[in-house]
Amino acid sequence: MKQCFFSQNNINHIDYKDTEILKKFLNPHARIISRKKTCVSAKNQRKLALAVKRARFMALLPYVAR
Amino acid sequence: MHWRSACVSLFDMLKKSEQENNKEKEEGSLKVYEVGYHIAPAVSAENLPVEVENLKNFLVKEGATIVSEGFPKMLDLSYAVSKSVGGSKRKFDTAYFGWIKFDAGEALIAKIKKFFDENENILRFLLIKTVKENTLFSPVSPKITASPAKEEPKTAKSSTEKEIKSPISQEELDKTIDKLIAE
Repeated sequence: MKQCFFSQNNINHIDYKDTEILKKFLNPHARIISRKKTCVSAKNQRKLALAVKRARFMALLPYVAR
Repeated sequence: MHWRSACVSLFDMLKKSEQENNKEKEEGSLKVYEVGYHIAPAVSAENLPVEVENLKNFLVKEGATIVSEGFPKMLDLSYAVSKSVGGSKRKFDTAYFGWIKFDAGEALIAKIKKFFDENENILRFLLIKTVKENTLFSPVSPKITASPAKEEPKTAKSSTEKEIKSPISQEELDKTIDKLIAE
């Protein structure tokens, strides 16, 4: 059983500036991958979604790709 | 009379507790915020520290205390960001991205927002609540903390080896000196 990436690495606060981590949870179209596939806990998935949306607003991540 | 004095004491108690609550609210209202911003690439690299200093000075002047900051770096933006300056819209593909983390009261946030909005050199900014601790993930740090424990026995060994080696070397030295004298 795969564990949540964030709880494994002791990440309590998901930062929107950490684009390298956020990119791991985006598909080639730059859409957020469902937690069914990434095994991220529900709590962290909510934090992740917020961080991705903030990064998109700041043009650190694209809204759409390809 | 007895009832009256009891009522007065109760009233005093309530007043005191209210004052304490207000104090707590004032102290508790200080929260950690973070402002991330894009400075337009039109600003030259030499003028960048001046621009950042302006932002920091404003925050400090308004009563905020700066916790940490990330100096602006040139970034390729994921999409073209447009900003209207003086009635004309301009698009930018690159920008200097920096951030400042600071402690401030809730009342100050509207002022800060207005200041960043009116600054023509700032393409876009994001003002969020955050935590005092470093939130950037660094996977290397746990490895660094683990490595010294492994290295300790090595250093201990090397020190003992040195201690053992040193008398031998002295003896050898004496022998060589004796040989030299004999010659």
